[in-house]
Amino acid sequence: MNLAVITDNLGYLLLGAWPDGPIGGLALTLILSGLSGLASAALGLVLGIELAMSAGVVRRALVLGLGFFRAIPIVMLIFWSYFLLPILFGVSVPEIGTVVTALSLVGGAYLAYGVAAGIESIGPGQWAAGLALGFGRWQVLRVIILPQAMRAMAPSFVNQWTALIKDTSLAYVIGVPELSFVATQVNNRAMVYPAEIFLFVGAVYGALCLALDRLAAALAQGAQWASRRNRGQPASHLGVPDRGRGAPPWSTEV
Amino acid sequence: MSLFGDLLAPRYLVWLLQGFGVTLALSAAVCFVGTALGLAACCLREIGGPAARRVLAAFVGLLRNTPLLVQLFVWYFAVAALLPSDVTAWLNTPHLLDLGPTTLRWPAYETLAGFVGLTLYAAAYIAEEGRAGINGVRAGQREAALALGLTPVQAFRHIVLPQALRVAWLPIVGQYLNTIKNTSLTMTIGLAELSYASRQVETETFQTFQAFGIATLLYIGAVALVEAAGQALARRAAAGSRA
Repeated sequence: MNLAVITDNLGYLLLGAWPDGPIGGLALTLILSGLSGLASAALGLVLGIELAMSAGVVRRALVLGLGFFRAIPIVMLIFWSYFLLPILFGVSVPEIGTVVTALSLVGGAYLAYGVAAGIESIGPGQWAAGLALGFGRWQVLRVIILPQAMRAMAPSFVNQWTALIKDTSLAYVIGVPELSFVATQVNNRAMVYPAEIFLFVGAVYGALCLALDRLAAALAQGAQWASRRNRGQPASHLGVPDRGRGAPPWSTEV
Repeated sequence: MSLFGDLLAPRYLVWLLQGFGVTLALSAAVCFVGTALGLAACCLREIGGPAARRVLAAFVGLLRNTPLLVQLFVWYFAVAALLPSDVTAWLNTPHLLDLGPTTLRWPAYETLAGFVGLTLYAAAYIAEEGRAGINGVRAGQREAALALGLTPVQAFRHIVLPQALRVAWLPIVGQYLNTIKNTSLTMTIGLAELSYASRQVETETFQTFQAFGIATLLYIGAVALVEAAGQALARRAAAGSRA
């Protein structure tokens, strides 16, 4: 093992050519995953709510659309955005925008199902109570259902973010200088230390993802604790057994 | 540049279909070996000692928490550099195995690296699905088996495992679908699968829409078919257990 190849290139692996050139390396990986994490969370929330609230043709069209993004490889989707975005907008789109678009669409499509499941996990009694109070459907959703569902959804948002960090490495295929790409550049320059370089890069990704994994587990525990506490209160207060509230799909003890 | 343009020349269609063939063959091999490895790891974790458990958990965590792309680079670049030079040389030269009517060609190094990388990645996920399935079997089942005088290994083998597999089957099919999509990453180490072929056709013909469109449809077709087959199998198993 020769760790000099890591220490000599550490700045390049972490920041790319910055400050003399565009930012890259680990910093760009974090930027890409942050941007696509936010965009996919927004997209997943909107599509998930639509999925839970719609019926009939709209729902079927939505399921088909989401199915498309879940069925094709992210690499293909990056190719598509690389090719279609400039045609759609009539201007050249920077590669970073291409990658964020592709990752947000995939992340949003996966999250939509988590969001819909979270909404559906809230018992029908909550809906009935809200409607009885004179709220409209969307008001019940916003004021009563979503605040409860969000707590249960939080872990799936963090899990999706972990997946996104790993998926940003695919930006490599269109030459975006994130961590994996600069690693191959360093490898091509040094030639003789591939093991050191790629094991180091793997360790960096691993540390990031494991930290987020812990966060998701902590959030999941918090959500379970909160839902146990909440479940007791209104039911005992009203003297009504809280039926219809199944365990949310992700709460299966692991 | 027109969106559709003329139809792709037949030889480019052949490229795409050959790439699709590589994708399917690689996916099948990875799913087969990955399932065997993943379930073996998951069983070993149940009935093995604490040391085996810790080592397996660490391996699974490592494989699941690093990008597949980096893992493929490790297998392709790093392992090639770490192996003794005569082993690398042997792996890089073509070998033919004469089996009477057919001759088998030893795969190129990128195929081997891609296969090993994808298989271990899939196995790690399948091991976790198996573990979730085992946790989904109620504890009373195992306790009842132990009370009937079965040894812990027998209880696991005959009572817990069959039920756990039924619970884990659809998630495992989900991993098969992921595997089909994940094979696209091997284009980065030069494996001529479907994504690689579509990119190649695109650069050669500039008929981007058709090159990517056909590849996309082939992926969707393969994923939809495997998903439908997996669900049909699950329904048959459910019907069989009721009968």
